[in-house]
Amino acid sequence: MFKRHRSLASERKRELISPGATRSTLKNDMRNFHSLSQFILAAGPLRSIPAVKHAKTTHFEIEILDAQTRKQICIVDKVTQKSTIQDVKQKFHKACPKWCPSRVGLQLERGGPFLKDYRTIQSIAVSSIITLYFTDLGQQVSWTTVFLAEYTGPLLIYLLFYLRIPYIYDMKESSRRLRHPVVHLACFCHCIHYLRYLLETLFVHKVSSGHTPLKNLIKSCAFYWGFTSWMAYYINHPRYTPPSFGNKQITISAINFLICEAGNHFINVVLANPNHTGSNACFPSPNYNPFTWMFFLVSCPNYTYEIGSWISFTVMTQTLPVGIFTLLITIQMSLWAQKKHKIYLKKFSSYMRRKSAMIPFIL
Amino acid sequence: MAAAAATASTKGNGGGGGRAGAGEASGSRKKKGPGPLATAYLVIYNVVMTAGWLVIAVGLVRAYLAKGSYHSLYYSIEKPLKFFQTGALLEILHCAIGIVPSSVVLTSFQVMSRVFLIWAVTHSVKEVQSEDSVLLFVVAWTITEIIRYSFYTFSLLNHLPYLIKWARYTLFIVLYPMGVSGELLTVYAALPFVRQAGLYSISLPNKYNFSFDYYTFLILMMISYIPIFPQLYFHMIHQRRKVLSHTEEHKKFE
Repeated sequence: MFKRHRSLASERKRELISPGATRSTLKNDMRNFHSLSQFILAAGPLRSIPAVKHAKTTHFEIEILDAQTRKQICIVDKVTQKSTIQDVKQKFHKACPKWCPSRVGLQLERGGPFLKDYRTIQSIAVSSIITLYFTDLGQQVSWTTVFLAEYTGPLLIYLLFYLRIPYIYDMKESSRRLRHPVVHLACFCHCIHYLRYLLETLFVHKVSSGHTPLKNLIKSCAFYWGFTSWMAYYINHPRYTPPSFGNKQITISAINFLICEAGNHFINVVLANPNHTGSNACFPSPNYNPFTWMFFLVSCPNYTYEIGSWISFTVMTQTLPVGIFTLLITIQMSLWAQKKHKIYLKKFSSYMRRKSAMIPFIL
Repeated sequence: MAAAAATASTKGNGGGGGRAGAGEASGSRKKKGPGPLATAYLVIYNVVMTAGWLVIAVGLVRAYLAKGSYHSLYYSIEKPLKFFQTGALLEILHCAIGIVPSSVVLTSFQVMSRVFLIWAVTHSVKEVQSEDSVLLFVVAWTITEIIRYSFYTFSLLNHLPYLIKWARYTLFIVLYPMGVSGELLTVYAALPFVRQAGLYSISLPNKYNFSFDYYTFLILMMISYIPIFPQLYFHMIHQRRKVLSHTEEHKKFE
């Protein structure tokens, strides 16, 4: 043990001292041989040296502490250099079965960022014993589940209102009045919209195997389902008033709706198949399809087309609740678009000329 | 609820000791605090608000002495009440620009519920203004606000008398239920008049296919007090234990 201390010390003197450690701390550390792990933890950035001198592969030991109480939960050993955080989480799950890998949040230091699953141990290791802090991220659901729940709900709920399930509307009134064709058209458009979303979630989107806390699922489902019920109630009401400008208004907005739906679909297809050519990797660019030419004007045309669809739907049905829903999702999507736009600007500044985030020339 | 929410206000205006939501009486040492100009403005704001609510309190007392009974006192303090309660909207602005370390959402919620009661219920439904329940919540609000604004003023000037801190964290035990009862009774009294006049309600059919029933809205609002009131109340009791016992510990060490 003593020999190893000496070699480590000399190694350390050769290396740069990390900003945290000072000369005096180093001296003290060398003097106190309390425990080997303490000494190594206090060290600055060392080149990772083999734990056992004659072994060919480096094995790491990862000590997992609770982020709040700093108590040790368990030690994951025999972790190779090439393993990732994901492997560590799975080994941790085997050791402590109640924490599934998706619930586990590991940080290098308390309050630091959570380490992504794809990072390798090699990139974060400073010594052969690593300390990670564990936080329970709570009950998680996969993004696919969230999307499926979010989109199936409105599809079914709107149909319930359209088919006039008893007790929603006054029975005498409902049976008496003939329904204006725009009501049927609205149902058709609404169903197309959500069917397209569902099919894209299942077949087009390459949703990462990421997870999200359960309460996000509850929040988004409540929002979508609630607003769909509110909208569907008015559109399918016996006392529904058709649009003021009659068929002209309806046909123009219906055509617009279909154009925006098609546009949204093609953009999603392009986003799902990014071109990985060199420095242009993962930056979506327009191709021969005219719908994708929106990429010349904005960085997030999928949001643009979606807002277009909903505005057409509002104009087509001339219903205020639909307008309120459109306004709310526009606000939410503009926030997301701004974030993405900033990321693109940072990464691909040479390609981003004269572009807005979501609405051409305005936002 | 509006009364309690204001008493329970999470982080309070400006720096200073003991605050509700953040929970620690020592929180002021960690955070930065507003700059000198912002502090001066906040002190002026809080002093003006304290003075305003004192005017309302004095007005109530004078009206009571003049009339000899406590009925229909609302009319004598109607204008200052509307002015100073609406002035509390500035607090949302303070949170938004960051000179007060409170959450914008929570403060908006508190202030808007107060303003709603003043304008959309008491002002709009004139028949309700002579009810006794109005006096109940006005008194609760007046006492709460005088203590709260003076608490903030002294905190900003770093000279908080223990009496004010004690008052803020103790009187709510009585004032909160009093204010909530006043508010609920007032809304309940307003219901038949809203139904009769069809106040603020739109019905189908109309050009924009929208309907709103103010009567149902008020009922839903009253029901929402049921989950929110106990949460805020017990939160305040918890804060009280923390803040007042913390101060006692400090006193022991001095």
